[in-house]
Amino acid sequence: MLMSGAEISPPLDARLLSVLVCPVTKGPLTYDATTNELISPQARLAFPVRDGIPVMLPEEARHLEG
Amino acid sequence: MAEPYAARHYGERAQDYVASTVHSQGDDLDRIERLVAGRGLRRVLDLGCGGGHVTYRLAPHVGQVVACDVTGPMLKAVAQEAARQELSTVTTVQAPAEDLPFETGAFDAVFCRFTTHHWQNAAAGLREARRVLAPSGMALFVDVTAPPVALLDSWLQSMELLRDISHVRDYTVAEWTGLLGQAGFALKTFRTHRLRMDFESWVARTKTPPERVATIRSLQQEAPEDVGRYFGGEAGGSFMIDVGSFEVTPV
Repeated sequence: MLMSGAEISPPLDARLLSVLVCPVTKGPLTYDATTNELISPQARLAFPVRDGIPVMLPEEARHLEG
Repeated sequence: MAEPYAARHYGERAQDYVASTVHSQGDDLDRIERLVAGRGLRRVLDLGCGGGHVTYRLAPHVGQVVACDVTGPMLKAVAQEAARQELSTVTTVQAPAEDLPFETGAFDAVFCRFTTHHWQNAAAGLREARRVLAPSGMALFVDVTAPPVALLDSWLQSMELLRDISHVRDYTVAEWTGLLGQAGFALKTFRTHRLRMDFESWVARTKTPPERVATIRSLQQEAPEDVGRYFGGEAGGSFMIDVGSFEVTPV
């Protein structure tokens, strides 16, 4: 592989975004393309997307400030 | 907090499950394909997808397959295999069955094959499966079932736990029907068949340590006649298990 961008994690599949909800609150999620995370405002959690796979485990999520 | 127990345990075995013939072949997979072919289903869920064998069968027939599992490396292997087979309808999500990250009624069908025996809370997992299924949808649960006799049940669970420390329980058919009913499902059809477990590949797949393999063999060799007869125990340790297929619709 000669592509210099090969290590960039693939983004979230748009088809998934329409059905995904927060596993804790079952409320809506927004996708932050800059951090490649799914944000649950109600739960104050940011779920990572790794290798294009949303990791919807609260124990793996980042707690949001404030 | 730690990763879920089954996730930690299955991460390093992902490729073995993609390659497993016990998991990749079977009349039940042919039946799953027949259930969806030509029905124009938009979105279906492979709940506890493991090596992805249900996903690969569903993918050519539906608009979108969501392959969901609690084990990250398993999903990575599934995504790679789907790409290799050029199955563009496959998407992957990491989540436990008990807390699904999907909208209510999001799926036209839910399939769940050889996975419920790993769940920490089967009742919660089935309730979630019911929640994410559309009111007009269907679901199919396939899993090893325990015999309805306490002695045989205890032997099956003991062998399963020694083989795989993340084993929770193979439920009896009666337990299954109770759990499905409580989750809000009505049983449409039930089928059962027997499956031969080749001993060597059975313990190789789970990377069972030698001392536990020896314990299983020791138990098998000293088993009461009833036990040996029921499980069709062979000299080399291979044996037969019961597999139940529960086709259900929302109540």
